[in-house]
Amino acid sequence: MLHLLKILLTAVAGLWLGLEATYYAVERGADQGFGTGLIFGAVHAGPWSGWPKTGTREADPYARALFARTSETPLGVTEGLSFIAREDSSGAALTSACDYVVAKAIPAARFWTLSAMGPDGKLFPTTSQRHGFTSSELLRSADGGFEIRVSALARPGNWLEVNESQPFVLMLRLYDTALSANAFAVTASAMPSIVRERCR
Amino acid sequence: MKRDVWTGDLAFATLPWIAGWLIIAGLVHMASIFAMPRLAGKDAFARMSALAQPHQVVLLPATTAQVGAPFDDPALAQGVCRYDLSQGPLRLRATLAPDALMLFSFHARHGQIFYSMTDRSATRGKLDVLLVTRQQLDAVEANDPEDELPQDLRIIAPTPEGFLLFRALAEFPGEMAEAEARIQSIACGLDRDARS
Repeated sequence: MLHLLKILLTAVAGLWLGLEATYYAVERGADQGFGTGLIFGAVHAGPWSGWPKTGTREADPYARALFARTSETPLGVTEGLSFIAREDSSGAALTSACDYVVAKAIPAARFWTLSAMGPDGKLFPTTSQRHGFTSSELLRSADGGFEIRVSALARPGNWLEVNESQPFVLMLRLYDTALSANAFAVTASAMPSIVRERCR
Repeated sequence: MKRDVWTGDLAFATLPWIAGWLIIAGLVHMASIFAMPRLAGKDAFARMSALAQPHQVVLLPATTAQVGAPFDDPALAQGVCRYDLSQGPLRLRATLAPDALMLFSFHARHGQIFYSMTDRSATRGKLDVLLVTRQQLDAVEANDPEDELPQDLRIIAPTPEGFLLFRALAEFPGEMAEAEARIQSIACGLDRDARS
C-alpha cells in the first residue's frame, strides 16, 4: 500500500515538474515575446539576436511549440532574416526614457526594415504614425551611410518614434539577403550599432 | 558509525524514486512540447482559417497596434491562400513587377515552413507553382509529355492542409495600397488541369 502511494506520488510530482518546465519554456516566451522561449539555434551579433532555423524545416520543437501559442509566422529562411534587440550596444536594456542612434553597418540585403514595437511584438500608438523605416525611404548621408534616431520626442532626420510610457524592442529584418545561407557567420561589426544618447 | 549506515540506506532507498521522478518529468516535458503544435487552438493556421476559405487569396488586415500577429513587419502587406490538397493540387501563378519585393512562404498544418522564396525565384517575371501530395505528384508526372521538361515548380506538401503566406514590401508608407494590389494579383486556387 505504501509502495503504491509512493509510485502515485512520484508520478504526480513528475507530471507537475514536466508541465512546469513546458510552461517555463513556452508560456513565458509567449508572454514576453520573440526569442524568450527559444532556447536553441540563436545567433548573437552585438545587441542583435536571431533564430534563423525557425524559418526552415529544421525548426526545433521549442520554436514550433512557441509559435503555435503566439500564432506568429516567422520569415522563411529564403525570404529573409529577423533580428531583435532588447539592449543597446553597451548591453544596457533599451528604455523609452533615452534616445538612441542606430547606425553604421548593415549586412548586404536587397531591402531591410527597422521597426520598434513592444517587447510582446505588438505595435504601440505613435503620433508620427510611423513604426519603422524601410531601406528605401531612409535619408542618407553623402557616403551612403544612415542614422536612425530612436526617441519618444521628435528628432530631425530619420526619426523612429517610440512611446514614452511603454517599453520597446527593435526588430531588424533583412529581406532577400545572402546572409540566409550563412546566418551563423554574422558578426557584431556587420550589424548596426545601437548607441545611447541623452536620457530624460 | 551506526548513524552513517542508516543515512546511507535512506539515500539508497530514495535514489530510485528521485530518478523515477526526473525521468517522468522529462518524458512529460518532451511529450507536451511535441504535442503543443497539435493542441494549441490559436496557432497561425487557426488565425488564417478564421480569415479565409481555402483556395482564394485573402488580404490580412494591415498590422496596427491592435491588429496582427506579434512581430509582424508593419511595412509588409500580407495575404494568405489556404490549401486543402484532399480536393486536388493547388496552382499558384503570379506575374511579378520588376524589383518589387515579394515573399512567398509555404506553411504546413502545424506551423512548419516547408518552402520559401522571393520574387527573385521567378523566371522572366512569372511564377508557376504546383503544390501537391506525394501521390498527386506521381499522377501529374505520369501525365507529363515525355519529350519536354515541366514548366512549373512542383512542391510536395508534408500535410494535406496548410497555407501559403504572401508578403509584399511597401517601400514607402504611401505605397501600402500598391503592395496590397500586388498580392491580390496573385492567382491561387485548385489546379484546373489536374487529373487526380
